[in-house]
Amino acid sequence: MEFPRYHKDIVSDLMGGKFILASDPKFVSLKESEDFYAKFFRESFAYELEVKTDFAFILSYETGEQLSRDICLFFAVLSFELDKDGKNFLEEIQYAEFEMDKIDEYFQNSSYAELILNNNQMKDSFSRKQFFTTLNRRNIIEKTAENKFTFTQAYKVFVDFAADFAKGKLSVAGVD
Amino acid sequence: MLKAEPKTILNFLANHFDSLKDLFDIQSDEGIIRKEQLMQVLSERNDPIETQLIDYKIIRKIGDDFEFRDVYFKLFEFILNEFRPLLPETIQKYEQSIGKLFSKIREGIKGDNLILKNRIDDLNNEIREFSEAVEKNTIRLLAETRELKSNVEKLDYKEKVRKASFWIDYYIIPLNNILDINHAESITNKLFDISQYVNVRRLNFNDENIRLQFEKLYNFLVMTNDNLLRQSKLLTNELLPLIERIRTESIILTGWIEFLKQPYKSTVPKIFKPERYYPYSNDMYLNAKEYLEQFVTDENILMEDPVANSDKWVFNKELYKDRMLQQLPIDSFFDWCGLTLRSEYKDIETDKFFALTGLLFEDDIFLELDEKEPDRKLIKTSQMTLRVPKIKILKYGIS
Repeated sequence: MEFPRYHKDIVSDLMGGKFILASDPKFVSLKESEDFYAKFFRESFAYELEVKTDFAFILSYETGEQLSRDICLFFAVLSFELDKDGKNFLEEIQYAEFEMDKIDEYFQNSSYAELILNNNQMKDSFSRKQFFTTLNRRNIIEKTAENKFTFTQAYKVFVDFAADFAKGKLSVAGVD
Repeated sequence: MLKAEPKTILNFLANHFDSLKDLFDIQSDEGIIRKEQLMQVLSERNDPIETQLIDYKIIRKIGDDFEFRDVYFKLFEFILNEFRPLLPETIQKYEQSIGKLFSKIREGIKGDNLILKNRIDDLNNEIREFSEAVEKNTIRLLAETRELKSNVEKLDYKEKVRKASFWIDYYIIPLNNILDINHAESITNKLFDISQYVNVRRLNFNDENIRLQFEKLYNFLVMTNDNLLRQSKLLTNELLPLIERIRTESIILTGWIEFLKQPYKSTVPKIFKPERYYPYSNDMYLNAKEYLEQFVTDENILMEDPVANSDKWVFNKELYKDRMLQQLPIDSFFDWCGLTLRSEYKDIETDKFFALTGLLFEDDIFLELDEKEPDRKLIKTSQMTLRVPKIKILKYGIS
């Protein structure tokens, strides 16, 4: 049996919790064989394959809820602080290169100090560095230098979540 | 006198928390709980606790209506992190009480130590209350302004500006004046003066107990001043520019602000959790081996081709002994050894030759050294040339 190109890397990346990005040659191979991989992951491990326009990932019944919550907290505080700083937070997340020192400044001066200090991944500069390593390993950020990074398209998972969350709140408040 | 044990009251608060929270919300909004509102809440919750609420002194009657006793209202404010905004003029009262106590301490510094100690204690309490009032107000103002920014109620821009102006004019600017260190009349400035005075007294006051009181007050003032500075920064960075900040709106930011209200209670997006390897999994042995091997010290390993066992010559003593016996008598034993090996192999290998010479030591062999030939014979093996005497084998055994 012949397997798609990069088969081994595709499987090991996805099984390692990575997002495969459109900029990665593996993405093309995965997209071309989407049906095969969807069936492969479902039949082999009962995982669901999610292929979006510009990234792909797999989901299992048991999910990394703690990490996801930490990532949401990070995006939420960062977006809030960027907006407070007079920036278009979405454009910044989409296109800007972030310096870790600047992130430290935002988090140290945030009015969400209590939430930040109570979160093990975000409580100080050292914890945040380790957290960025996790994000980098998962392809949620891409390190561009020792102390700099950009967000990959995987940010959309979390931004879409925020938009849906708001819609839920708006509908509870009775606003169309 | 309370009609219940303290633990009973605490259990009561926990068991009927939902009804109490509803009543707290009513009082927070309206300042009082009307009798019909109390009945409605208890009936909707199917929680007939009116008698206990009075007996345990959680609420009290005001005419026909009710209100929480202050200690319980503050408890709910604290555990729910929902504080009633205090008007800055209410907070301003601490300026007078703190100022008065401080001047009394200075005036009576050489007077009675007991009253001095009580005044220091009271000053400590007043500063604590002031600091907590400021902190509560900041929390409430942050919540209100985030609400405006989030705008879940979809207020139009005009209404948002009106609300923002209200908070800014009546709460934020006056609170900022109280906290602004650059403002000569601010309480924060007064607290800095007090801490300078207390700093000196904690070091040079002659009574040790009072010195310790000053020390305690000084440490508390240092902490309070840091906290007030932080509150002041929040006001300047986040609350004063409110009008500017509510100009933009984004559904994503609304989502994040709402999420941050209770981040540990919301569902979050699913992300894949890589499988963990358990000790009993099939892959565990190889994974653990691979992991541990990375810590093993590297040593030089020499690889050699294994010697093929099939090539190894094994001396068959019985076979050669029989051959020797068949050819008896043998005129020259070593020549016989050489000839025998050469008949089988191309060269006489030294090992094989020596193995064969072992037959000389067999029991019952009659041998004779030929002394007529003093010169030794030469036998050439693959590795050396051997000089051997001429030995005859005459017979074997009795035969």
